[in-house]
Formats: sequence, C-alpha cells, structure tokens
Amino acid sequence: MADLKSQTPTQTLDVLGRVCPYPLVLTKKALEKLPSGGILKILCDAPASAEDSLPRFAEGKGYPIEVVKLAESWELYIQKP
Amino acid sequence: MATKKLLFVVRALPYKTEASRLALTHAISSQSVEIYLKDGDLVEGSVAFIGDGVMNCLKNQQAMKHYGITSIEGHMKNTLLLDMKVMVCKEDLDKFGIKEDALLMDAEDIGGETNAQVVPYSEIQKEMESVDHLLFC
Repeated sequence: MADLKSQTPTQTLDVLGRVCPYPLVLTKKALEKLPSGGILKILCDAPASAEDSLPRFAEGKGYPIEVVKLAESWELYIQKP
Repeated sequence: MATKKLLFVVRALPYKTEASRLALTHAISSQSVEIYLKDGDLVEGSVAFIGDGVMNCLKNQQAMKHYGITSIEGHMKNTLLLDMKVMVCKEDLDKFGIKEDALLMDAEDIGGETNAQVVPYSEIQKEMESVDHLLFC
C-alpha cells in the first residue's frame, strides 16, 4: 500500500464534531470532486465513522486508505484512484 | 449495480411530533447505507414537504425558545448539504400564505450547494410514482 500520510493531501476535510453518518456522506461528496490520484485527508473524532464506516466505504470502492489514531481523534487518508 | 430511490413525504408539523425530524434523519442516513450493500448498489433519497409539513421549511424557527428543543432547521440544512433533492409544495405554501423568502431554501452558510425547490404538487406526485419506496411521515 502506498504511504499516503507522508504525501501532501489534495484536500483536507474537517468533520470534527460531526457524528455518523455525516463523516461518511461528506467524505463521499468530497471524493466525487477530487481529481483522480488525489488524496483526501479527513479529520474525524467519531469512532464509528473512523473505525468502521469510512474504512468499509474505501475498501468497498477499492480506494487505498490509511487510518492514523491520535489521542482523541483520527486522521484518515483516502486516495481516489 | 442498481439504485433504489426513496422519497420521504413529510406531512407533519415540525414540533410536538418527531415525524418530520425522523423523516429527515432517515433520509440523511439513507445516504450511507451503500457500504452495507453488495455489488455497488446505491440508495438515492429525496424529501417532499406537503400539507402542514411545509411549516418545517420556515426560516428562523424558535424551537429552543418556545419548547427547549433544537429546531428542524439544522436537519433541513444538512439535507441540502448532502445534495439531496428537497421539494416544497407550492399550492400548500399558497394556502398558508407563505412566501418563498420565508423559507430555508439553501445551506450556503455550511457549504451546501443545493437549493430546495418550490414545486407544484403535480411534480411531487410524479416523483412519488417514480420511486421504489415511498415513506409518508
């Protein structure tokens, strides 16, 4: 898997404070507009989204994803193929 | 790969019932269920306000002041933020004497790009006939 977190993201999506399903649906919307090959960095503090729905969505689509657990939140990196 | 279309038809007043709030919550949630579906199936949700339900679309609701609860406006804005189709019945607005400038038509302040549409009932009826699942709330 490519090391996504070491690359400059094309866009950062801040969904801190938002709970499921908003992180997922806003991520879907952001990815639709992202150019092919672009990396979306997502700042999220909703456990269900960071640990379940976002990885499940990316894996279902075949999009590379990296999840970085911070003290009280997560950074997720998704690359649009 | 198939797309299932849902239409939530809101007929209830905004407060002293959870019907309209639940309709919007379920419509919003419907946009995330694809992760549990197989073979790239999708769900496309839309919302129509008819009858007393058009009251949900009023701007500057004072629910916290009067009832101590959050207003429906946040849910309305989130629906538009997610680019969902939102229709408001023109005839029912006319019946109540509500003008379009009294309605929450966009969610630009939170980054929304889609506007609600005031449409004749015939258009809502057409939408009802075209969807796979129709839910009256």
